Amino acid sequence: MHYVIDSLWRGAVQLVRRPMYVLMIVIMPVLCAWFLLDLLKEGPLQRVPVAMVDLDRSGVSRSLARNLGSFQQVEVTNHYTSFAQAKDAVQRGRVMGFFLIPEDFEENLLAGRQPVLSYYVNYAYFAPGSMQYKGFKTISVMVGGSVVRTVMRTVGMRDEAIKPLLLPYATHVHMPGNPYLNYNFYLNSSFVPTLLSLFILMVTAFALGTELKSGLSPRWLERAGGNVVIALWGKLLPQTVLFTVVGWFIQWMMYVQFHFPLNCSPWAMILAMPLLVLANQGFAVTMFCFVPNFRLGTTVCTLFGMLSFSFCGFSLPAESMYPWIASIGYMMPSKYYFLISTDQALNGLPLYYSRVYYAMLIAFTLLPLPLLWRLKREAADPVYIP
Amino acid sequence: MLKVMRNEFRLVMADQGVLVFFLLLCFAYPILYSLIYNTEVARNVPTVVVDDSRSHASREIVRNIDATPEVAVVGIVPSMSEARDCMARKDCYAIIHIDRDFGRDNARGDQRHISAYCDMSVMMRYKNVLSGLVGATQHEAERTQALAVAPVLYNTGGIVNARHVPIGNTGMGMASAILLFVLPLVLQQSMLLGIGMLHGGSMERRRHCAGKDPLEVKAGVIPTVLGKSLCYLIIYALPSVFVLHVTPHIFDYPQNANPLAVIALALPFLLGVSLMGQTIKVFINERESTFLMIVFSSIVFIFLSGASWPRFEISTFWKAVGDVVPGVWMGNAYVLMKSDGASLWQVARHMAILWGQCAIFFALACLVEKYISRPRYARYQERAQEDPTLAHRLELIKNGE
Repeated sequence: MHYVIDSLWRGAVQLVRRPMYVLMIVIMPVLCAWFLLDLLKEGPLQRVPVAMVDLDRSGVSRSLARNLGSFQQVEVTNHYTSFAQAKDAVQRGRVMGFFLIPEDFEENLLAGRQPVLSYYVNYAYFAPGSMQYKGFKTISVMVGGSVVRTVMRTVGMRDEAIKPLLLPYATHVHMPGNPYLNYNFYLNSSFVPTLLSLFILMVTAFALGTELKSGLSPRWLERAGGNVVIALWGKLLPQTVLFTVVGWFIQWMMYVQFHFPLNCSPWAMILAMPLLVLANQGFAVTMFCFVPNFRLGTTVCTLFGMLSFSFCGFSLPAESMYPWIASIGYMMPSKYYFLISTDQALNGLPLYYSRVYYAMLIAFTLLPLPLLWRLKREAADPVYIP
Repeated sequence: MLKVMRNEFRLVMADQGVLVFFLLLCFAYPILYSLIYNTEVARNVPTVVVDDSRSHASREIVRNIDATPEVAVVGIVPSMSEARDCMARKDCYAIIHIDRDFGRDNARGDQRHISAYCDMSVMMRYKNVLSGLVGATQHEAERTQALAVAPVLYNTGGIVNARHVPIGNTGMGMASAILLFVLPLVLQQSMLLGIGMLHGGSMERRRHCAGKDPLEVKAGVIPTVLGKSLCYLIIYALPSVFVLHVTPHIFDYPQNANPLAVIALALPFLLGVSLMGQTIKVFINERESTFLMIVFSSIVFIFLSGASWPRFEISTFWKAVGDVVPGVWMGNAYVLMKSDGASLWQVARHMAILWGQCAIFFALACLVEKYISRPRYARYQERAQEDPTLAHRLELIKNGE
């Protein structure tokens, strides 16, 4: 027992004596989480700056431009008199796209000669691109609709009968959990915990590596009575506690301060946090057992930590990736936390559906056990390779 | 200055860790990232249908929805509760519900109702389901409208032809949009990591050698800073060509830029980054703490550059923070050139700011070297003279002994 207490004491003292730990366990994760949450706090994306090129300058074209200006998705910031000017503005990054009304638009429209409305959308900027598309598409459909309505009215059709003609299908798209299409809720539900995971992976690798580098790892084992499991627990448990508290604080920021959807019992997420911390520590220790070398171990942990933002399918869904890449995503603890937060916080499903994900997080914690002998061998006789 | 450069060159070449950052990272990361996003678009979101109408019309609209590239109907289930179970098990990510009166409304010429429920964990799925649904129904709407007005307008085609012209990233792919922002940042982060590690190594040598770095060349502040920057610039000649020019070729990203113009832009960018690295290196005291200090900032910089959330929506405060980072300006200018074919003249503002950053970071790097780093080295030496075992004892204390 005294070995356990001694090891824990040593681990805790290290945390306090190296400012790096406090910085990377407490200050930076909280700052970064706040950065991401605050950056996207506007919620849904709107008012993408676009330009209007009106070559017709008729009543119809002007009313079209006005209508476009009333849209939420886009904001007509510039008006140009030629295609070349609008193109130049796009190339300079002043506007993200433009709507072009051709010459003699009104005349051709009224004569039934099918004039062409063009909208140029710059997809080099991904999210604004799709927003513009939505706005431009709607307005161009509306132009056709308004002509149909006028024509039908002149032949004496009732408005109630015209409506299904204009819009034969009423589609109601429901967005359970995130009805306002809040970008913050969507992106940061995955990115903030994954960023915390990155910190956990790096700090764990750093903690183990420092022990080897300083050549004090034999002493580390000695104080745990030669038991590598006790040594590891003693070293990492103080960090686990600190990271979990930080993680809970970040959850509090998300669900309370920024009103993220929390459709489950809060305990489902509160419990998931220590599991996430432990799982990431387990992952980092496993990697370190494979490559018991400070720099390489840290490199591997960093590599996985950074790539998990992409592997885990937060932006491009996993089923659309190459299968072998999507499967790497399932090797990361962050992926399971993401699935838990989707199932529980966002969709409010019964715990039953998330059972496997919780179990996987626990499995990550146990993962290094069969490999610890490698760490022990290296720790007993550390060689520092710069 | 040239001596410093030559010496720095020797240090880099002798240091495996730094070489991994400077070279391997620049070759591996762009390829890895590109592979992850290489499918570019999401297609065929698995969807189940609850058809309460079971009419000819409802089956036709389901077929039309299934035929869109965005949606794939993977099953037709009898009830909503079963559909929700499918979604909870992640067998599907969207549910399309067709109203009981769908067939009747269709026959009467009334408005027909379709509901869709979409998993919101990944926005792209929602976007696809929406556009699949709109695509399938819009086509039908245009047909009925044209038929209705045909006798009056003497024309059976559409009323207006709307032309959607994607520009810049004409394939509308995700990789082509995001990766162009990421590529310059890879260069920036790898260089910062390398510089940090070199400095960390030097600090460790000082601790072990009584406050002196035996591998250091004595030189003034300005020649030291410039000599090191020059060395990094020369090393980065090849990686930057690979990252900025070859990677887009391999993965077929938009390539509308003049390569010479990109080089003209990359020069102040890389110089700025090397000077920035020499400024922030004061925070690094150990080789391996470089990882902790630099790596997470990549995520912050990617967001500041506007790759995900556009810069026009970022609050003034965060925009100002982003304005300091060379990679943000380079990223945006690079995207404008590569995607939209902007000329150097059109991104002149970005270029001017990049040169301005060079000037500011040069001044900062010199100030840091003169007023923080060198006095610190002197202190190390003094302390080491008083007590040669101090550094070692400090190390023990820090490790909890």
